[in-house]
Amino acid sequence: MIEKLRSYGIVGVFGLLFVVLAISSPSFLSWQNAANILDQSSILFIMATVLTLCIIAGIFDLSVAATATASAIMTVNAINAFGMVLGVIVGVGFGGVLGLLNGLGIVGTNVNSFIGTLATSFAFRGLGLILCSGGLVGITNKDTATAMRSAFEGKFLGIKGAIYIALIFSAIVGIFLSRTIWGRNVYAVGGNAQAAFLAGIRTNRILISCYVISGIGAGLAGMIYAGRYGSGATNAYSDTIAFTAIAAPVVGGVSVFGGSGSIWRGILGILTFALIGNGLNLLGVDTTYQLTALGLLIFAAVAADQVFRRSRG
Amino acid sequence: MNSSTALVRVHELTKTFGATRAVRSVSLSFTEGEIIGLVGENGAGKSTLAKMMAGVYTADSGTIEFNGSEVSFRSPFEALRTGVAMMAQEIMLVPDATVIENVFLGSTPRRGILPNKSKMRSDFKDLLELTKFELDPDAVVSRLRLADQQKVEILRSLSRNAKLIIMDEPSASLTADEVARLHATIRELARRGVTILLISHFLEEVLDLTTTTIVMRDGEVVKVGPTKDETIDSLVAGMVGRSLETRYFDTDSAATHKVRFSVDGLTNSSLHDISFEIHEGEILGLAGLIGAGRTEIARAIFGADALESGTVTLEGEQLTVSSPRDAIKQGIYMIPESRKEEGLILEASISENMMLSTLKRYRKGGSLSARKLDKRAVELAGQVDLRYSKIAQSALSLSGGNQQKILFGRAVEVAPKVLIVDEPTRGVDIAAKRAIHQTLLNLAKSGMSILFISSEIEEVLGVCDRVLVIHQGKVQAQFTAPFDQQQVVAAFFGQTSGVKND
Repeated sequence: MIEKLRSYGIVGVFGLLFVVLAISSPSFLSWQNAANILDQSSILFIMATVLTLCIIAGIFDLSVAATATASAIMTVNAINAFGMVLGVIVGVGFGGVLGLLNGLGIVGTNVNSFIGTLATSFAFRGLGLILCSGGLVGITNKDTATAMRSAFEGKFLGIKGAIYIALIFSAIVGIFLSRTIWGRNVYAVGGNAQAAFLAGIRTNRILISCYVISGIGAGLAGMIYAGRYGSGATNAYSDTIAFTAIAAPVVGGVSVFGGSGSIWRGILGILTFALIGNGLNLLGVDTTYQLTALGLLIFAAVAADQVFRRSRG
Repeated sequence: MNSSTALVRVHELTKTFGATRAVRSVSLSFTEGEIIGLVGENGAGKSTLAKMMAGVYTADSGTIEFNGSEVSFRSPFEALRTGVAMMAQEIMLVPDATVIENVFLGSTPRRGILPNKSKMRSDFKDLLELTKFELDPDAVVSRLRLADQQKVEILRSLSRNAKLIIMDEPSASLTADEVARLHATIRELARRGVTILLISHFLEEVLDLTTTTIVMRDGEVVKVGPTKDETIDSLVAGMVGRSLETRYFDTDSAATHKVRFSVDGLTNSSLHDISFEIHEGEILGLAGLIGAGRTEIARAIFGADALESGTVTLEGEQLTVSSPRDAIKQGIYMIPESRKEEGLILEASISENMMLSTLKRYRKGGSLSARKLDKRAVELAGQVDLRYSKIAQSALSLSGGNQQKILFGRAVEVAPKVLIVDEPTRGVDIAAKRAIHQTLLNLAKSGMSILFISSEIEEVLGVCDRVLVIHQGKVQAQFTAPFDQQQVVAAFFGQTSGVKND
């Protein structure tokens, strides 16, 4: 019973929120509003996807915002050096490389992932600063900048390109996680790394792969930033985004203890956040209350997880 | 058990968890200075009964009287204040604190807001004198051996003037000499008027130590009486509800003369020059005290721990094993010592746990076929006598014995040439234990070579074709069936009277 409540409680909360908003605010159910909610969430979808993956694997990656920032700068630099296509590949790949560094360093030394990625988030931000010589870099070729902008900001079927990228990325990670042997191994490592190791699973590789995917996700977020603004800056993404992305899967019902959950829960968490923000906006409620409501919701989710743990003894 | 001098009387105590009636209308009374043995299969309700008396659980109905007045403990702390202490199966100490800090934890003598250290010292000394324990008050608890950690718990109970101490499986993880010391302590406490309720799976211990024995089955007390009237067979008969033979391993050996597997000169920080061989279809036992190095041998062979020197040879070929993955690929599998910490993904389903090492076999296109996994899991469950309701249920929802059977299912699935099994029956009930023994014998019959580690000597001698006794990281002695139990146990302590070392 408690397990069901923990698993599907958030779906009920989301549904309730949706219905209440639909009734109380006439503009909520409009296509325009839905598109707005999605548009504001594309980066968070990507971030929540990779953090859901990490939490299922039993690790945290606090460095996603820093990696995304460094990747945005790298993307701009690479586009200026090699042109658009190769530049984007290098920029996103750079995120993956930073993820690999995270993985090799943290898994190799057996450092706690929370502290390890906290440390690398400073280092990666610093790296971004170095890559843009302490300021702001812009895409110099006007045509390229326009092309990038229209790719991410331009609308297809009423929704911006960035959303498609985010949703496709989430879907791919979600499918791999739920269908493949690699995915099952991620759950096993997150559930009991020692048991997984003794069963012959290469636990180190599994964990490193999660850091790399996290880095690639951050790289995509960096690419989207570079495309939207035609530039890369050291303040591209603040760490609040990383914290929000960690909170999302937890609110969505993913256990912070690892080993269980699904990607859609991270997405649901982000949508819940967006709904709260959007709904309170439409109802004309002060932003201060939004943050408080959000905080309480996150706390309730973690508390529910803990209570569930205890109830099963 | 004269009711007028009863220290504790429980009357029609009942406790229900969900649909399970864990304890049904139990009435008992204990007198001062009595040692009471409480036995029963896993799930018989022993721990639940004890936890109600110690304030861990609240009874659904029934009463508890202590020293003639009715009590209702809302927490272990209240129980302790009244004089009931419980030593749970897991040691409840602060590992990084010292012995003296742990003894007075929660009842530290004070001087204002500061601890009164001199009073702590003198109280501690009094406790040592009372118990004849030898314990350094300033030793850090995590560095103590288990038997000494238990002493800290006992001292803590006594520092609160406990009149009833409940011990739940206190000897389960102790070595033989530690058990002897614990027994001496229990007798001394009883002599001083402390009542001891001892829950134990070791029937010899109960027969040897207690004055009264209580047998529980399915939540009810089926028998209470003087221990001197009981035998192992009568206790087991009471526990299982029908008379069963306790020693039952007269099975034909499947061992052949063909050497399948050998190790030569295994050495690392805990092992010294370990050499032995296992034949096809043979069950080789590794016996010895806890900490003798048996698990370390298993882990070294399986690639979980590093070796400094030594070779591992399987079917004439020398192997290089640097990880469990290497070992599995080359035909060696290990069921680890701790099923929960090292064996199972508790949240995952039975089928996922069984196929954890062999998921690749169930690939369909790029993804896994859940249907194939479940079908195979059902087959395996049948082979290892696993009791479950749904193959998709989590390992967490099963009893200890059935959890262990999942690991045997995985071993059958992996189908290694050499299977290492480390303490597979620890904490499982008698029925599951038998099923596990049967599985081991079946696997040997199918030609598998098995290395079997257990701390329960009867089991080792009953199941194995040959037994090596490990002592301080070395092979102390080798025995071949039929065994002389006394000789084998003597080797545990480094005594090898007339037995040739291999």
